Amino acid sequence: MSGPAISNPRRATGGSFLIEDLGPEDIFTLEDLSDEQRQIERATVEFAEKEIQPRIAAIEAKDFGVTKDLLRKAGELGLMGVDVPEEHGGLQMDKVTSALIAEKIAICGSFSVSFSAHVGIGTLPLVWYGTAEQKKKYLSRLASGEWIAAYALSEASSGSDAMNLRTRAKLSADGKHYVLNGEKMWISNAGIANLFTVFAKIDGEKFAAFLIEAGTVGLAVGPEEHKLGIRGSSTCPLILTDCQVPVENLLGEAGKGHHIAFNILNVGRYKLGAAAIGGAKNAFRGGLRYAKERIAFSKPIVSFGLVQQMVADSAAGIFAGESLVYRVIGAIDASLAELEKSATTTGEIQKRIEEYAVECSIVKVWCSEMLERLVDQMLQLHGGYGYVEEYSAERAYRDSRINKIFEGTNEINRLIISGWTMKRAMQGRLALLPAIQRVMDEIVAGSKSREGRDGELAEQRFLLANAKKLSLFCAGAASEKFGSELAEQQEIMGALADMMMEVLALESAILRTEKMQGRSTLAVAMTKYYAARSVRILETSAERILGAVAEGDMLRTRMAIFHRLTKHVPENTVALGRKIAMAMTEVGRYTV
Amino acid sequence: MRILALIRQVLDAEETVRIRAGEVDLSASKLVVDTMDEYGVEQALRIRETGVDAEVVALAVGPERNQEALRTVLAMGADRAIHVMTELALDPIALSKVAAQVAQQENVDLIFCGGQQADWDSHALGAATAERLQWPQLTWVNALEIHGQTLTGRHDAEDGSEMFSVQLPAVITTQQGLNEPRYPTVPNIMRAKRKELRVESMESFHVEPKLKIIGAEIQVKARLHKILDGKDATAAAAELVQLLRDEARVIA
Repeated sequence: MSGPAISNPRRATGGSFLIEDLGPEDIFTLEDLSDEQRQIERATVEFAEKEIQPRIAAIEAKDFGVTKDLLRKAGELGLMGVDVPEEHGGLQMDKVTSALIAEKIAICGSFSVSFSAHVGIGTLPLVWYGTAEQKKKYLSRLASGEWIAAYALSEASSGSDAMNLRTRAKLSADGKHYVLNGEKMWISNAGIANLFTVFAKIDGEKFAAFLIEAGTVGLAVGPEEHKLGIRGSSTCPLILTDCQVPVENLLGEAGKGHHIAFNILNVGRYKLGAAAIGGAKNAFRGGLRYAKERIAFSKPIVSFGLVQQMVADSAAGIFAGESLVYRVIGAIDASLAELEKSATTTGEIQKRIEEYAVECSIVKVWCSEMLERLVDQMLQLHGGYGYVEEYSAERAYRDSRINKIFEGTNEINRLIISGWTMKRAMQGRLALLPAIQRVMDEIVAGSKSREGRDGELAEQRFLLANAKKLSLFCAGAASEKFGSELAEQQEIMGALADMMMEVLALESAILRTEKMQGRSTLAVAMTKYYAARSVRILETSAERILGAVAEGDMLRTRMAIFHRLTKHVPENTVALGRKIAMAMTEVGRYTV
Repeated sequence: MRILALIRQVLDAEETVRIRAGEVDLSASKLVVDTMDEYGVEQALRIRETGVDAEVVALAVGPERNQEALRTVLAMGADRAIHVMTELALDPIALSKVAAQVAQQENVDLIFCGGQQADWDSHALGAATAERLQWPQLTWVNALEIHGQTLTGRHDAEDGSEMFSVQLPAVITTQQGLNEPRYPTVPNIMRAKRKELRVESMESFHVEPKLKIIGAEIQVKARLHKILDGKDATAAAAELVQLLRDEARVIA
């Protein structure tokens, strides 16, 4: 559906954005949504406002009957079948549509997690790896919301190192069952699920996934965890004691369960990004409403500069986030759309999505951290009221925190971002090394004139071009120092990841704004405002890397290059911030 | 039979009203189908679902963005839609002229219209349409059934309800309680894409609104900043009660 909006979607994969310059026509933006996508978005908003919103108190009180009821209603509306094939009661639509749904559902963190765990990690393994019989038996029940799904990978002693899990499976003597023993931890939806995808090692070796129905003898659900946030979502341990799983419920191949475990995560990550955008917009609206109503010194507090600064920071964060999320998912859609011309296997679909693993991780980390800053600022502008439960700012603040932990911690994802990029470069799949060489040559040859500097965002384009060079320069300097040991230098890999994230986010905002062709002066203002933040992060990260990989004269020479690449005249972010805040205040919510 | 549902696209109740150049500016606002009109669409669909051979046609008159509203109604289940395109702001009386003509052209038997138009805050559209057609109108209906050519239903009266029956053709205006409108489902949104949405120009209806909006302003809520001297607590309490009762009129 979103295909035609992008002319050449496959260019930007696996970190190639660092070395290629894309034009506005190369990326998908929210302005490119089709009429149907907008309508589905509106339908989801209506569902969220009329069905979820009035029940938030009940959800938060762990009235799981309400959650189940809402999931069933969402199923009836077709909101849970977007990633499910038509022959199994789904709609098999594009990923942008499913991201829009995830975004709009996210007005309540608890329900959003129940929903995402069900449609994402709960249902997708079956869609991708299930046999015809398994799909027939379970999939339409999951798409309709009649059954709820859960995904059980983590254990008390294995989280980020998921391959290390201790749960064991053994084939029974008669060959009819696998017998599972072990314990799973922090399983979303465990208390309400009818079907679990449980990971275990067969004979302690072969990583495998099993479909286990609730009520199976030997499967026990432990007590609800008492959590910091998303308190209305169900999170429990699972205890497997000689749990007998019929052999036909082995999902995928024995020994290849890790493919299931990891491939699903890419989808989970971009959807988490979309949900974070939805949570951010909702929290922003609440904060803005309060700031317009609250009077201090005889004026609404939104008229004060430091409050406006929080509003502007938050709005610009949402804008860049939207640009980033939908650019990446739009590119995935366009790539998948090419596939549909031929007969497609789920293996091909996963391979295509995996091409974007770096971008999916960027979306996850960047959006979860944007949301965290935003809910903090929205709570802050509530003053004392932000700290009590009367306003939703307190809940939003607590609920956001999990996003930095699940679907791979942000630390693990940072290592994926820079690690995969470097790995692809070493494999020759990404022309990173020649690009680094070009940057070095260019630097040696002296700075070139600033080419093509026109248009409203000329300065930001220049910043972006230099940000890419700076990132390549830092990657080159770090590789030179550590060689193949670089991956072990986590702080440097993390700083490189931060630079890559800012490059992709800033580029997405610039390209989206350019694609609007002047239709939104607000978009221009937010892009400029956001760029100022990006530059600071890029500088800090670059300094961290350069300071760690050289010293003395070498460091001084490199810092001279650093200064050349970061040289810029600051925008008037005070004036921009006020303009952004006033526009948002007038509308009463986030707008472009 | 053929049922016409009049649809109006209005500002979402949660949105902030903005004024630009003396007019309400809807350009960046979230717009929705007037809830009152949704009751009408829902009721038309329910009539069709009782097995009556009925076609449900939705009509909207207004700028291009109205087609969003019509697509929503098609996704709810209406069979087809007519959009009379105009940038003119039509008052309910002028609008009724278009509605009545479309009803005649389409050989409509029954018209549903919201009991109140959210933006004009008016009840006139249904009445004016009925008057132009010389049809009976039943207003503020909160229960309705159809048997052959006879509608029976109920609406609120001062201290209770009135029951009525009427022969088609008729105009029915709706109110809250008539039904619970359904949501458009994702599959129906996809199906609606293929349904007919006919666009007509305004000229053929020869409508010249006599009423023109010449200005708009946001109501400014002035605060009284009245502080009661609490040195004599009993007197202050009495004065507070008196103010709340007689000035603010928030207690009886």
